[in-house]
Amino acid sequence: MPRLGRSLLTWQAALWACGSLLLILGALAIVFFTGAPSTAAATLPEVTATDVTYGPDGAGVVVMEYADFQCEACARFSPMLAALRAKYGDQVQFVFRFFPLENHPYGMLSAQVAYAAHLQGKFWEMHDLLYKRQKEWASAADASPYFEAYAKSLGLDMSRFREDVNAQTTKDFITAQEAAGTEAGVNHTPWFAVNGTTLVPNDIGDFEALIDAGL
Amino acid sequence: MGRRQRIVRVALVVLALAGFLISFYLTLTHYRHGVPPCYVTSGCESVVTSRYATILGIPLSLIGTVFFVVMFYLGIALLTGSPKKVMQAYELLAFAGILAAVVLFLLQAVVLKAYCTYCLGTEVIALLIWAGSLVVASSGDGGVVAEAGPEPQR
Repeated sequence: MPRLGRSLLTWQAALWACGSLLLILGALAIVFFTGAPSTAAATLPEVTATDVTYGPDGAGVVVMEYADFQCEACARFSPMLAALRAKYGDQVQFVFRFFPLENHPYGMLSAQVAYAAHLQGKFWEMHDLLYKRQKEWASAADASPYFEAYAKSLGLDMSRFREDVNAQTTKDFITAQEAAGTEAGVNHTPWFAVNGTTLVPNDIGDFEALIDAGL
Repeated sequence: MGRRQRIVRVALVVLALAGFLISFYLTLTHYRHGVPPCYVTSGCESVVTSRYATILGIPLSLIGTVFFVVMFYLGIALLTGSPKKVMQAYELLAFAGILAAVVLFLLQAVVLKAYCTYCLGTEVIALLIWAGSLVVASSGDGGVVAEAGPEPQR
């Protein structure tokens, strides 16, 4: 019996030790594999004259974003991108591409609003405003009054704005960008690429590292 | 302990480990980024950033992580021989787990109208753990095994 007892004790201790080791290794694997920014090569639609851009055409570095205005993760990155535009705006071209997600009720409408602002030269102002105020309009039963108020605050021509928001050409433009993005492999937002290399960043430093390397 | 019982108990440990990994990932995401990306086929970000995702500032994923760690070690205790108190605690926690899972699923389906794949994964695991606890409890001895381990060597 003492021998059996010792054997059982050893077996149980080994099981507890192995179990604890598994937990720790699993946790470490998650910390390690999800901590570093990941990059990969991607083939994306070329930047054209119809794209919504910020910064000089033909810049050596192009930062591309596919985003949805109702996406909380996109809102989190918005101030970082604003800081990058301020820092690198004269050397880097920032391209915004519409990618409204179906599971966001106002994803498409907010994209239409931003595109309508773009047609009056106020895309980036509307872009920043939509993300800054995302919580108030995204949870509203009707987001339209908020969008109208934002457009007014930016001094847009309201009758033209309303017309552009609802125009079929606006919807077609957004849908075409979304379809092209899907074809290129975009499956989430925000989806970033720096000079054709996709980037899943954790913070602004991950962008800066790629941008600085390209300048 | 019979072969079937042993398989079920090993499965319970593995399920708790899987639940731990998913919950730990969500907890890490919460403290590291705040928001996971928005996927085409999922409303994960809507769920994990909703007001139901935290209780008194504590993310539910952290509570889930602790829950699955406890179930993991209780599962090992069931494998190595299960005192009655361990079995009772396991059954009670498994029941609490399935209750929480049902509430969280209904929140996603009815209130948020968005589903988080990771959350659904942990809810399915909680369901399987509860089902497994019923199998263990119905083993004839109430799941209580006086001794367990390798067969004694002759």
